[in-house]
Amino acid sequence: MKVLNARKINTVLLIAGYLFIWGPIVVLGIFSFNANAYGVKWESLTYKWYVDLFHTSAIMKAVLRSLLIASITTVCATVIGTLAGYGLYKYRFFGRRALRMSVLLPITVPYVIMAGALLVYFTRIAHIPLGYPAIIIAHISFSAPLAVFVTLGRMQRINWSLEEASVDLGANTITTWRKVTIPLLLPSIFASAVLIFPWSFNDFTVTYFVAGVGTTTLPLYLFSMLEYSLKPVLINAISLIFIVMPIFFIFLIYLYKEGVKQKG
Amino acid sequence: MAASKRATKIKAKLHLLPTVGPISIWILLFVFAPVAVIVVISFMATGPAGGILPKFSLENYRVLLFGGSEYGNAVLRSILYAFVTNMICLCVGFPMAYWISKYGGRFKALLLFLIIVPSWSCYIVRIYALKQLVGFPGILNNFLLNLGIISSPINILYTPGAVVLGLIYIWLPFMVLPIYASLEGINPALLEASLDLGANPRSQFLTVTLPLTKGGIFGGTILTFIPALGDWLVPLLIGGNRVWMAGNLIEHFLVVRGRIAMASSMAVILTAAVVLLIYMFIKLGGEESMERIV
Repeated sequence: MKVLNARKINTVLLIAGYLFIWGPIVVLGIFSFNANAYGVKWESLTYKWYVDLFHTSAIMKAVLRSLLIASITTVCATVIGTLAGYGLYKYRFFGRRALRMSVLLPITVPYVIMAGALLVYFTRIAHIPLGYPAIIIAHISFSAPLAVFVTLGRMQRINWSLEEASVDLGANTITTWRKVTIPLLLPSIFASAVLIFPWSFNDFTVTYFVAGVGTTTLPLYLFSMLEYSLKPVLINAISLIFIVMPIFFIFLIYLYKEGVKQKG
Repeated sequence: MAASKRATKIKAKLHLLPTVGPISIWILLFVFAPVAVIVVISFMATGPAGGILPKFSLENYRVLLFGGSEYGNAVLRSILYAFVTNMICLCVGFPMAYWISKYGGRFKALLLFLIIVPSWSCYIVRIYALKQLVGFPGILNNFLLNLGIISSPINILYTPGAVVLGLIYIWLPFMVLPIYASLEGINPALLEASLDLGANPRSQFLTVTLPLTKGGIFGGTILTFIPALGDWLVPLLIGGNRVWMAGNLIEHFLVVRGRIAMASSMAVILTAAVVLLIYMFIKLGGEESMERIV
C-alpha cells in the first residue's frame, strides 16, 4: 500500500514537472498562429506572422549574423577542443590536472561574470573591437570546453591499439592522424559540433556583453523586442523557431547514431 | 640509450604542442587574463566620473557588502533564491528522473527527449513563454477572467515568488538529466541483492538507490545552483527589474553606469561564492561527478 502511494506521488510529480516545463512552450506555439497581433486573446488561425518574419529584413539580418557567428565558433571550438581532449587523454604532462580543471572554469562560473570580465578585458586591455571578433572569441572560450569533455568521453571507449598498429606498420604521425585517429574521433567531433552550434546560436548573455553596437544577433533582437514590447505575435513566431531548432539537432544526432549502429 | 630516451621525451613534448597547446593559450589569454584583470580592477578606487583611479582601495567591497543595504541584499537574495530553486528542482527533478528510469519503458527516449529539448533551446524564449502565460496581460489571466473563475487579473510578475518560479522553470531540466544518468548507471544486481537481504522498497531506496545517485544529485546541484546564483535575465524580465540579484548589479554597474571597478568587485564576490561552492561539492561528491556532468 505504501509503495503504491509513493508511486502515485511520483507519477503526479512527473506529470506536474512536464506540464510546467512544456505548458508555456506549447501555449506560446499555439498563440504564434493567433491572428490578434497583441497577443493574449485568441482570435483566429493564421500563419501570416511566419510570412512576416521572412519579410522583416532586420530579423533576417539577425538570423544571418547568428548563423555566421555560430558556424565560425563551431569550427574553431570543435578543432581546439577535440585536439585538447586528445592531448589530455593521451599524454601525461606537467600541469595536466590543472589544465583539466581550468577548462571547466568558463562553463561553471556564471556567464554574467565571465562575460563581464571579457568586456572589460576587450575594451580596456586587449583592444579587441566589440562586434564579430569579440563575440566569436568569447563564444569559443565558452564552447571549446564542451568539445574537450565530449572528446574525453569518447576517448575512453576507443580501441587505441589501432593507432599503435598504424605506427607499427610504418605510418608517420600525420598519416596516422588522417587515416586512423580522426576517423575514430569522428563521432565525438560530430557530437561536439552539434552541441556547440545551438549553444552559440542561442547564447544571449555572453553576446549581450561583448556585442557592442550594430551586431544584433537573433537572441539580442528578440530581447530588444521584448523590452520595448513590439509586436508580441512576431516574437511568438521567432520563439517557436528557437524551440524547433534543438529538435532538429537532436534528430540529427539520432540519425547519426542509427547510421553508426547499422554500419557496426 | 640515454640519448634515445631523451629523444622520445622530446618527441612526446612535441606532441603536446599541437594538441593541448591551442587550448592552453586560449584559456590563458581569454579566461585567466580577463579574470586577473577584473580582480586587479576590483581593488582600485572609482573616480568621480565612474572611471578607474589607479590606486589601491577596498571602498568598492565596503560599499557592496556593508554600504547601501540594497547591494548587500542583492547578494544575499541571490544565494537564497538559488538555494530555494535548487531544493525545489531537486524535489521535483529527482522523482521525474526516477520515474523515467524505473517506469519509462519504451517511452524512455521520448520522455528524455522532452527534457533535453527545453534545455537546448534559447533561454530568453523560455522566460518569455512563461511570462506570457502567467503574466498580466497574460494568456492564463485572460482565460480565467473569461471563464469567470477570477474576477480581477492576478499579477504575480515582479514579485520574489515569480523570480524563483522563473528560475525553477529555466533550470529544472538540468537537474533531471544528471540524476537520470546516475540512476541508469546503478547496477540492477545491487538492487536485487538488497531485496534478497531483506530490505523493503523504502529502505532499499534510502540505503541503496539514494547513496548511489549521489553523483547525479551533486551534478544536478552544480548545474542548477550556480547558474541560478548568477542569473540576471530572470530577475530582469520576470522580476521587472524590481527584484535585483547579484548578476543584475554586475550588468547595471558595467553596462548601464560604466562603473567598472564596482562591477569587478561584484563579480569577484560572486566568483568567490561560486568557487567556494564548487570546492565544497568536489570535497563532498568527488571530482568525477564534476566531470561527468559535462
